[in-house]
Amino acid sequence: MTGRIAAAAARIALGGGMLLRGLWERRWPSLLVLVVAIVPVASAAAGPIVADAASTALARAGVQEGAAPERRGWRLSSEGGQVAGSARELAASAPFLLPPIDGMELVTPEIRTGRMYPLIWQDGQCEHVEPVAGRCPEAAREIMVSEASGFRLGSAVRLTAVAGADGRPAPLRVVGVYRPGPPGDPFWFGRNLFPQTAGFGDRGDALFTVPATARETRTPENVPWTSTAIVMIDPARFTAGGVAALEAAHALTQRLGPDNLIVVSQVPALIAELRAQSGGVGVPSLVVIAQLVALGWLLLFLTVRDLVTARGPEIALARLRGHGRLRVWRFALTEPLLLLAAAFAAGLAVAERAAQFAAERILPVPQPVALNGTAVLAGAAVPLGGLVAAAIAARNMAVRPITEEWRRTPRTRARGWVIDAIVLAVTGIGLVELLGGGVITQTSGQRASSLAVPGLLAVAAALLACRAVPFLARRLFGPTRRAGGVAAFLALRQIGRGPATAGSVIVLAAAFGMATFSAAAAAVVDANHRRVARAHNGADAVLTVNPDSVGGAAGLAAAVARADPSGRGAAPVLAVPGPPKMIATDPRRFAAVANWDPAWADRPLAELAARLRADSAPRITFTGDRIRLRMRPVRVPRNWRAQLYLDLKVPGEAKGASLPLGSPDRPVTEWPLPRRCRAEPCELRAIRGDVSIVAPGGGTKREVVLRILATGLEVRERGRWRALDAGLTDPARWRGTAEAGKRGLVLSLAAYGGLRAEPAGYPDPVPVLVNGLLTRNYLPGLDQAYLARGHPVAQTAALPGHDEVGTVVDLTVADAVALSVDPRVSFEVWVAPGHLAAVRAGLAAQGIATGEPRRVADLVTSYRTQAPGLALMLLPPATFAAAALALGRAVLALYTAARRRRYELSALDAAGVRARSLRAALLLEQLITLVAGTVAGVLAGAVAARVALPYIPEFARPPVTPPLLFDPPPAPVAAVVGAALLAALLAATVTAEILMRGIRVDRLRQAPA
Amino acid sequence: MTAAVRCQGIVQIYKTRDLEVVALRDVDLAVEEGETVALLGPSGAGKSTLLCLMAGLLRPSAGRLWLHGTEVSRLPQAALDRLRAAEIGVVLQNPARNLIPYATPAQNVAFAQRGRRADRRRIAELLERVGLAGVRRPAGGLSGGEQQRLAVAVALANRPRLLLADEPTSQLDAASGRAVIALPRATAAEHGTTVVAVTHDEAVSRALGRTVTIRDGRVGAEGRRGEELVVVGREGALQLPPEYHHLLPPGSRVRVEPLEDGVALRRAEP
Repeated sequence: MTGRIAAAAARIALGGGMLLRGLWERRWPSLLVLVVAIVPVASAAAGPIVADAASTALARAGVQEGAAPERRGWRLSSEGGQVAGSARELAASAPFLLPPIDGMELVTPEIRTGRMYPLIWQDGQCEHVEPVAGRCPEAAREIMVSEASGFRLGSAVRLTAVAGADGRPAPLRVVGVYRPGPPGDPFWFGRNLFPQTAGFGDRGDALFTVPATARETRTPENVPWTSTAIVMIDPARFTAGGVAALEAAHALTQRLGPDNLIVVSQVPALIAELRAQSGGVGVPSLVVIAQLVALGWLLLFLTVRDLVTARGPEIALARLRGHGRLRVWRFALTEPLLLLAAAFAAGLAVAERAAQFAAERILPVPQPVALNGTAVLAGAAVPLGGLVAAAIAARNMAVRPITEEWRRTPRTRARGWVIDAIVLAVTGIGLVELLGGGVITQTSGQRASSLAVPGLLAVAAALLACRAVPFLARRLFGPTRRAGGVAAFLALRQIGRGPATAGSVIVLAAAFGMATFSAAAAAVVDANHRRVARAHNGADAVLTVNPDSVGGAAGLAAAVARADPSGRGAAPVLAVPGPPKMIATDPRRFAAVANWDPAWADRPLAELAARLRADSAPRITFTGDRIRLRMRPVRVPRNWRAQLYLDLKVPGEAKGASLPLGSPDRPVTEWPLPRRCRAEPCELRAIRGDVSIVAPGGGTKREVVLRILATGLEVRERGRWRALDAGLTDPARWRGTAEAGKRGLVLSLAAYGGLRAEPAGYPDPVPVLVNGLLTRNYLPGLDQAYLARGHPVAQTAALPGHDEVGTVVDLTVADAVALSVDPRVSFEVWVAPGHLAAVRAGLAAQGIATGEPRRVADLVTSYRTQAPGLALMLLPPATFAAAALALGRAVLALYTAARRRRYELSALDAAGVRARSLRAALLLEQLITLVAGTVAGVLAGAVAARVALPYIPEFARPPVTPPLLFDPPPAPVAAVVGAALLAALLAATVTAEILMRGIRVDRLRQAPA
Repeated sequence: MTAAVRCQGIVQIYKTRDLEVVALRDVDLAVEEGETVALLGPSGAGKSTLLCLMAGLLRPSAGRLWLHGTEVSRLPQAALDRLRAAEIGVVLQNPARNLIPYATPAQNVAFAQRGRRADRRRIAELLERVGLAGVRRPAGGLSGGEQQRLAVAVALANRPRLLLADEPTSQLDAASGRAVIALPRATAAEHGTTVVAVTHDEAVSRALGRTVTIRDGRVGAEGRRGEELVVVGREGALQLPPEYHHLLPPGSRVRVEPLEDGVALRRAEP
């Protein structure tokens, strides 16, 4: 046994030792293979890691603090049943779910007031309210009440449905008083349990107790306790890969008991969103990664082939010794396989580091990165190229006659056209499909294949160049032989021979083609991201304020005016979702603050915004408790029932109020005003009338129109009537079915069509700026009621704040049009660069809190994190690295080829050719090859950028506006060209000098290599 | 007794893009087991080609070749590899070509051994015999003589029945040459190994039992025990040794006069 072990050890020592000696012998080519393999492995593997981190960032953004609680989990409830077990099963079904929050509740009237109170226990409840007095309930029949409820500490509260053993309502002792926490606390799962504190509704605030209360009291059979549980997603543990588990968890909720289980959740909406995002990230990244892998393959193929070819004599020796095929293959492949395996491991490690670096810079919230299956597969795909090269080269070594290995001049074989023809055909088809595919309206995944076109173009250019360069060299060879110097003659002859030239040109053209394209694409995409972000954000920074804190649209305008007296630092903006989306703002401030690109219109924004201003009649506003209309009575046909109304805009009433004034057959008609009008100004928006035909006939066949002369409008305030300045005699102040005259306002009431007379408090149609063709005439208005039409005073290519076709209107006009402000309207303050701190301070001084500003840079970051942006961001570093490697590999190949000719060059030296000429020949040979490959690549990349960029997705959701620009800026392309040529010149000079040192006459004593 | 090597009408033609070169023409040769043969002849005569054919490194363009009774002309490559591994040891012309330069002498011998297990005893024995025991330097760092001796040791690693050596003593001084040729001779004497060596070195040819001279791709003469004999080839062709060219210069017309035990050649015109 010992002998066997010793023999095995000896075998390993012999074999392993030789392997290591071989690696050391070929340390430079081995190192080159290692580096050439590590870089593409790292590039390819980093993509999926970053994409995964980006997906996780997007996923976590969907469930982070601030998102609706219903999107972040499930609330299970069962009246009379128990849900705790089901909740535990649900929480255990996915690793990112938090333990359930158990609870129970009963809604029942309080005996004394009859007000409905929810009696609640929710595990951890006291940590989510602010204790004011007393303590948390600990024992049965103890409760904690809100400050607003009015129950005193130590008092007893009796609820109808909570009875003691005697069947009478059990006294629940108040042991603590609380004040509710922030209303958005996800602990309450979006429920408003504190309406009493908020001051609206009839229901009382939650009364908190403990489970023992339920056990030690009785409830009627028809009013059982409701068992509840909340299961939430933990954002910190949720990743992009968790979507499937989330789906499974949600599916589980459909199967859980008890029978009357009610599940409240918006998780399906979250799942759908995440699915769309993850798909969007995946496809473009995959295409980019595939190109990087292909580029890595090309580089590795040539490098590994060189390495295996360098081992040709050894492989021949193995065959000479009669080794079996398997042993020969093993011998030939062990070294490259070992290197590729090491490169794979090192590449993955580098990828993880690089991904961490990129994630920290690209993602809005840095995410921890980790290797994933896709990254490993993408990384593993790269060494496969080297493996294929090794196998092909080893096979060539293994099958060709051994004696060929020792031939002084290897037999050359002509390159076939088959592969070239296939690549060119695929490129042509890809281009035709791309150019025929229409403009950029696609979603991220659908046209992601267009990302492959640059790679194909680069390879096609490389294949053409590698044939063209030796061909041209052979053509020029004749003239230089006759007339040129010996340097050009030698250089062109060597280039014309071809093998080193062809490989170098292919690699250089392909790599620099991709590098140029990626540089151009990154510049174009970055510019478009910034362009779109500037337009969509509207201003440099956007602050969102709570509508309640500013008191409506006019209040916002006033607050901004106080915060920025200069009028150039901030603008009030109400963003209405639409459609069409509408921005209501102060035109003057808007022009000073909003992001604007002169390319969007042929006039300055200030001039366009000024067109939004329009003269309007004064609005008819008032406070009071009653209103009356004086008129000259008219005789109403007998079969009519005519009714007049006053339409009012009332604070707090979304749709305003309509006051019925009765029939116009009386000289005065009056009606109480809504309660809010007593303290806050209400506005008369219309005098309206309608007619009901109560019986057929009526004595006349022609159409009857009652002409009612309104002579006065009065309001009673503090017991005294006062006339309103309603402008009843001013034709400029009224429009509709009314006519103002000297005697008053003549209201025309027809049987069909009724009556509608409106004070001209705003221009109709409303002047608007538009950035495209509007599909509907009416604007949404601040109240989303679509009351007024829009009249475009200018059409621009884009408008600040708009990501789709929309309008900008004067805030004063919009406020005059709207009856209220819809809750979906966003109250914003747009801030110009350099004014943010002052404006925030100015708003804060007025008690207006603002959250973190939304900046242009934030939007740019989010675009970069989206699928296509992320994919294109991954491309440049990898392609630049590949280009550097390609240059290094080409220089090495040229050096090796020239080194083999040292005998020949030494002979020329001995024959009297001057060293200067030999140096020039070497320099020229390398420069021509390097520059030809580089220039071919740069041209291919530039063409690819110009042709393909308009079709390559840059946004997950392509913006309708502003228009994107696709002309590659010259600077990045020039930088690539300049860097490449400089590097080529340096490399060629250094290599030529090194080679020159090896040219010595005494080398002629040795046998030619 | 079966011949170690039997060539019958061997023709070898090298084809290049534009022309064909006939390296061997109708070579008939038999080498008996245990014989030691020196292949002589001018450069380009086809000696190394014949050696490569015997080693199974080339397939003859025409004719048949048997090694130990096995016809190798049409033997599948795998079988030929096995045959070479089992029965043939080859020493190539340039000593460096026989060796893996970065491997130690022991690793080089082990590399040449058949099978997966290295026979360390055999390795030690061979290195001892070529005077390289204990040398751990890479083969590339050895002197020319050491490399050549190591090349012979490598060729003998599998105890071959046929040892083929191409110019084993070229680039060596006389003493080194003797040391190199001593090992094959000893092996032939001890184990009956057949040795065929291509050489220009008279010392080598003297050391071996038989000489075969190749001229213009044909077997022109053979020598045994100091006597040189012209070989009559197929179709009665024979090549006059160069030392008789002044009597019968190329282009001479001769009369063939039959004798009891052969023929006499006489120039037809003065």
